[in-house]
Parts: sequence; structure tokens; C-alpha cells
Amino acid sequence: MAQTTGGKKPVLKTVLYGLFSAALYAAAFSHGDALTALFSQGSFWAAGPILTVFVFSYAHGAFASNLWTCLGIEASRARAQKRAETRPQPRATLNA
Amino acid sequence: METLLLDSTKFIELNFQAVGFLFIVGFIGGLVSGFIGSGGAFVLTPGMMSLGVPGTVAVASNMCHKFPKALVGAIKRFRYGQVDIKMGLIMAASAGVGVQIGIMIQQFILNRWGQAGSDLYVSLSFVAVLVIVGGYVMMDAVKCSRCGGEEKPSSLAKRLQKLEIWPMITFKTSGLRISLWFTVPVGFATGLLAATIAVGGFIGVPGMIYVIGASSLVSSATELVIAFIMGLGGSINWAMHGMVDIRLVLIILAGSLLGVQLGAIGTTYVREHMIKAVMATIMLVVAVSRAIAIPKYLVQLGVMEVSDGSLQLMSNVSFGFMCLALLTGAVIILGAMWKARRAEAAAMAKA
Repeated sequence: MAQTTGGKKPVLKTVLYGLFSAALYAAAFSHGDALTALFSQGSFWAAGPILTVFVFSYAHGAFASNLWTCLGIEASRARAQKRAETRPQPRATLNA
Repeated sequence: METLLLDSTKFIELNFQAVGFLFIVGFIGGLVSGFIGSGGAFVLTPGMMSLGVPGTVAVASNMCHKFPKALVGAIKRFRYGQVDIKMGLIMAASAGVGVQIGIMIQQFILNRWGQAGSDLYVSLSFVAVLVIVGGYVMMDAVKCSRCGGEEKPSSLAKRLQKLEIWPMITFKTSGLRISLWFTVPVGFATGLLAATIAVGGFIGVPGMIYVIGASSLVSSATELVIAFIMGLGGSINWAMHGMVDIRLVLIILAGSLLGVQLGAIGTTYVREHMIKAVMATIMLVVAVSRAIAIPKYLVQLGVMEVSDGSLQLMSNVSFGFMCLALLTGAVIILGAMWKARRAEAAAMAKA
């Protein structure tokens, strides 16, 4: 369910994931042309861009999430609770 | 298919302006995707091409950034209880078949009428689908806002849910039960449109809302699951042909992962008709953009005559409208979110 506001802001997490993400970007772009040439070879090298974007999304995604929380931008508490209460229940079925 | 294997000379030189452009469009595209489930691709692909990126590389790189963005957005919205995974998986499987049929139709048109014919077909499909579906969604959003923002399932969806045709499927998150025979065609149409205009969500989300009967919130969140699965499959295919420019992907991703989470958070603040309003606005503005591009293809097919200067102007105006569509969507989302946050803060202060 929705994360709610209040509590300590994840400043340390944001900084750590931010550094991790920045390090990944620095590593990738310091060898940008070589990496692009390598991944454009196709065939089994296709795993390269796919795995790379997964790793980057983990690091940068976690950083982005924590950053918005630190900036005080979080899911609405009132709406999330209201939706949880009013969500329709599935119809009962009989497995005879 | 054009191949770039071991030919890195076809990958563009990146400068500060290009990086800034990709990051900002990535952020706004992500914001819109996180909110309505799709969007961004229609500006990113032509945008990358205007930077000198070959068409196939632009499509491949856009797709390779789309699936991780959709995954991050889907995870965020799953935490808010909005994602119907079962519906997403069924829709994605049927969309996969739709994509294959869509590609066959495209190839047939390409062989019969050439590149200009294919472009004209894509633009006409764009305009027809976006005007009809976007117009209907807009009318519904206006009606819904006049009724206080409360969303009710469409009468078509209610009727279809009453028909007991084996196999019946229960979608717990959506809170509905409907036959597989009404779910699969929506997924199929999503795939067909994705193969034609590259934005399947413009039919997938309205399909889930008006045919299956899911809410706007669940439909737009579930679309992210479909986008992830289809994007992953497409990206593997493009990457095996060496078409992905990983530098472009990573720059767009840097912006879009920030945007997609903000868009997902935004859905918890606004009333459900806002999702429809944003989607319909974007669809209608994009339809205008594509309509302006049609004369170019008619000239190439020899059907009409227009000067080169006018065609160039139309092309620029068309791209301008694409950017406007995305910007308008972002402004509506941020404005609605800001207003709702203020109202919530005021209510809390009163209590």
C-alpha cells in the first residue's frame, strides 16, 4: 500500500544510491564509445545493454525514489487509505 | 533490416545540448508514463532522429529505455495497490500476437506502396485512432468531472461482464470478472497499434477502461506491466541486431526514472478522471501533429503538390505539436498534483 508521509527522511540512503548511480554513469561514459561499439556487435552481446539498463535502473531508480521522499514528495496518505477501503472485492466462486 | 554491426561510425557524437534535450524529454516522458501508463516515445524517437540518430537506432534505443522505466513505474504503482498483474500478463501475451500481425501488415504495405505509403498509413492510423479514441476519452473525462470525479464502469463493460463465456477470469485488483474472449482482443489491438504507431497504450488503457471495465488507475498502472514485457522482448530483438546506442539509453533513463516515480506519486493525489483528461489531451494534440505531417507523404506519393519550404515548415510545426502534447500533459499532471497537495495540507491543518 501507499507509503505515507512522516518519519525520518532517507538522506543517507539517497546519498549512497546517488553516489552509486553517479559512479555507474561515470564508469559508463568514460568508456562510452568503446561500450557502444561493443554492444552494437549484436548476437550474444545483446545481453550487454539489457543487463546494463537493469543495473542502472536499480541504482538510479532507488536514488530517484529516495530523492523525492527527501524532498517531501510522497504518495497521498488520505487518498491511498480511501482507495484501500473502497476497492471492490472479487466475486466468490465455487470450485465444485 | 539495416545493420549497424561493428559500425560505430553510425552512432552520433554527443554534445551538451543533445544530452540536455534527451534528459529533459526523458524526464517529461517519464512523468507522463508514470501517470497515464504510456507516452514519451512519440517525441523521443523523432527527437533523437532530429539529432542525427538513424531511425532504427532511435526506435531501438527508445525501446531499450522504455522497459526499465515501465518496470520502475510498475513497482512503484504496485506498492499503491494499483497494478493488476494477471491482467497485465494476459494483455501482454495477446499484445505479442498483435505486434506480429501488425508487423506483417506494415511489411505488406511497404512492399506494395513503398516507404511513403507506409508512412502515410502510419500517419492516417495515428490520426484516426487518436481522434476517435481521444475524443471519446475526453468526452468521458468532462462528463466524469461534472459528476464530481466519481468513476463508474462503462455500460459496455458491464454488459460484457454479465456474459458467462468460458473461460471466465477473475481480476482481483480490478475487482471484476470477465471472459478471456473479451480480454484478449483488447491486448491484441494494443499490440497491433504498438506495431503501427509505437504507442500501444493509447488503445490499451482506454480498452481496459471501457471494454474490460477496470478503473483508470488500475488500467494506467497495468499498462506499465504490458510496456515492460513488450519493451523487454522488443529490446532483446533490437539489441541482437546491434541497434541499441547504450549512451542515449542511459541519458534518457537518467531523466525518465526521476519522472516516472513523480508521475506514479501523482496518481495518488488526483481524482481518476484526471488520468483520462491528461491522456485525451495528449492524444488529441498528437493527432493534430500527425495530421500536419500527412501532406508530406501525399507529395511523395504524387497525389498532391506542395513547395519544399512549406513541407519543411509543416514538418517543424508537426514536431512542435508533439512536444506541446507532452508538455501540456506534464503541466496538467504537475498542476493537478500541486493543487491536490495544497488542498490536503489545508485539510490536515484544519483537522
